[in-house]
Amino acid sequence: MEVLNLSENRSLIALLAAILPLFSFVFLPASKKGGGANIALSTISLSFLLSLYLFFQIWNATPEHQQLHWFLIGNVQFYAGILLNNLTVLMMVLVSGISVLVHIYSREYMKNDPNIHRYWAYLGLFCFSMLGLVISDSLLLIYIFWELVGFSSYLLIGFWFSKHAASQAAKKAFIINRIGDLGFLSGIMIIYTQFHTLDLLELFGEGGKISTAIIRDGLWLSGSQQMPMQWLTIAGFAFFLGAVAKSAQFPLHTWLPDAMEGPTSVSSLIHAATMVAAGVFLIARIYPVFDPLVLDVMVWIGAFTAFMAATIALTQNDIKRILAYSTISQLGFMVMALGIGAYSESIFHLTTHAFFKCLLFLAAGSVIHQLHHYSVKNSHEFDYQDIRLMGGLRKRMPFAFWGMCLASAALVGLPLTSGFLSKDSILIKAFEWAATRNGVFTILPWLMVLTSWLTAFYIFRLLFKVFFAESREIKEDKLVQINDSPIQMSYVLLILSFFCSFIVFSFNPISSEASWLWNGFELSKIREISSYHWLLPLILNSGSFAMIFFSYRIYVQGKWTNPRDRNLLYRFSKREWYFNEIYNFLFIKSLEKLSLFTFQFDRTVIDGLVNRMATLTKGISLIIVWFDRTIIDGLVNALGLLSGYIGRFFRNFQTGRLQQYLMTMLLVMLSFFILSYLI
Amino acid sequence: MIPLSHFMLISAGLFCIGLYAVLTKRNAIQVLIGIEFMINAAVLNFVAFGRYDKISGGGQMFALFAIVLAAAGVAVALAIILNVYKYFKSIDPTKTNTLKD
Repeated sequence: MEVLNLSENRSLIALLAAILPLFSFVFLPASKKGGGANIALSTISLSFLLSLYLFFQIWNATPEHQQLHWFLIGNVQFYAGILLNNLTVLMMVLVSGISVLVHIYSREYMKNDPNIHRYWAYLGLFCFSMLGLVISDSLLLIYIFWELVGFSSYLLIGFWFSKHAASQAAKKAFIINRIGDLGFLSGIMIIYTQFHTLDLLELFGEGGKISTAIIRDGLWLSGSQQMPMQWLTIAGFAFFLGAVAKSAQFPLHTWLPDAMEGPTSVSSLIHAATMVAAGVFLIARIYPVFDPLVLDVMVWIGAFTAFMAATIALTQNDIKRILAYSTISQLGFMVMALGIGAYSESIFHLTTHAFFKCLLFLAAGSVIHQLHHYSVKNSHEFDYQDIRLMGGLRKRMPFAFWGMCLASAALVGLPLTSGFLSKDSILIKAFEWAATRNGVFTILPWLMVLTSWLTAFYIFRLLFKVFFAESREIKEDKLVQINDSPIQMSYVLLILSFFCSFIVFSFNPISSEASWLWNGFELSKIREISSYHWLLPLILNSGSFAMIFFSYRIYVQGKWTNPRDRNLLYRFSKREWYFNEIYNFLFIKSLEKLSLFTFQFDRTVIDGLVNRMATLTKGISLIIVWFDRTIIDGLVNALGLLSGYIGRFFRNFQTGRLQQYLMTMLLVMLSFFILSYLI
Repeated sequence: MIPLSHFMLISAGLFCIGLYAVLTKRNAIQVLIGIEFMINAAVLNFVAFGRYDKISGGGQMFALFAIVLAAAGVAVALAIILNVYKYFKSIDPTKTNTLKD
């Protein structure tokens, strides 16, 4: 732990890389309406170049950690600093790289939007917060950026806020993320109470405070500090809750499909490639804090989320919604992988997923963009995100088609793609892990295999419906009007397609163990079972090919179709397992009932009490008034009157007649005499 | 020899007559006369008690003094009555009531 040295430049470069995109947020509101693309693009490109430089400097070299004194609470010093290790630089390159591509893409995609300057500003804020989140070295800083990321996501989902659905979706995303933030914050508080520091290296590094803390006699001991051991589990769950909300895992996944109301480029960058990966990133960063119980829960939540989202994606008709559920499903894979201890596999999949999911979204965006243009030009109103209305676009949009094909292959994990390397390595690890466990855990890897097959079906269903068969909504003769997107957008698809191939990540197309990325992280300690390494990819891929064949028969050739049978399972999947309805019933309705009750309580009891009090006070004051008027005033008046009477009475003696005075004197004298005589 | 109590009774009677006159008469002169009655009742008492002081005759001496003083008093009183008359155009003592507030 050294003090930040200005001549030491790598941390400064990281800082610069993170802060550069913020310039476009700070200065763009001042720039003219509709402008700002150049500033945004140049700052993010510079940031990407800096990240790339750092990547080559730090990757597999000694990590860097520099910090500055930030503030002091009591006797505890707080430091703010930058932690650069393999995970950091990988995420930096990933975030800034995909951001650059999405920025280039957005220039065309958002071209005619009158509020484009706002778009660039929000995007700048997002890139800044995401990069800040990645490079921060303390939980407190990560929390700050975590919130900022959530906020910029809120702004971007609600970018078209005049659309009711968009503003609702933005609010939903923000509120659900707040639940996770609450968990994260609770975790930070527990960690701080136990260790009096929030520094990542000090806590989670090798020989850090978490690893040296021991559990003895039901107590969690660290130095002189002690806590009941349950708090370790609670802290793990609290952090995991934060990750669950950010990475859209069950049961907090419902915000992500709705977040598709934002621009497609935003969905691509934030809700597929980078921000949703922040939850996985957080788990990876603070991995040592999770105890076996939390890890088991993590495994099941990840696996369940992956399976559930895949089944929902089977029946959705909105092209972006399918991709959103696919994202949730893949994030489930990553979380599950972290749960079983396949740390490097999970990060590997995060990286490959970022590229192919970004490509899927951008290709879908390209389709939406062109169909929207067609719809505007021909004043032909239709829902240009509904895959039931598309079809036959293969010949018209080759770039989008081939991009989508490659990305889908990567998503399914077909050989020669990046997804093959990362996804199969996760599944192999899952089988190896399950072999060390027993009972219910043995079905888990098979659940994942099933999910993987479902993935093949739903993504090729999308592909076939959009690009094959014949056009449904647009007449064949008008289909010629649709062309591939502007060349800038197509180039972005091309670049991303390259990153979907195996060659970027490993020179050996069938073994993830040769991947530079995979070897960049600590390897898991699960015993390897070699038979899985060749058997499993075989099973997986034959299943996937069978699924692709099924969907080809159904959606292209129209065979075996009785899609009209709207049976129970279909409805269950179509309505997204009724999660929205259940939440609506459980939380919103009950909350409404509760607030109605409290409203009534307020009305009748509180208001009633106040009103009663008012009436009572009025009554009391009336009595007091009466008392004042009659008793107090009466007494005073009576005294006044009395003295008046007495005065008037005695005045009568003052007649001014001497004879009368004399008479009085005589009477007084006489009475004295009489009295003295009598007594 | 006439007993002392007879003198006392006559003098008391005189005093009462005088007092009555002073309290009731509507004429200042008559009131003055009442005062003279009362002085003379006192003088009578002096003289009657003087019997017990034959050697120095103190009672008689006091009586003489009292007569002289009464005469002087009458002179003053008459002068006052004259002034009162000049001021109020009346010597009715009930009319001269400016002493009241």
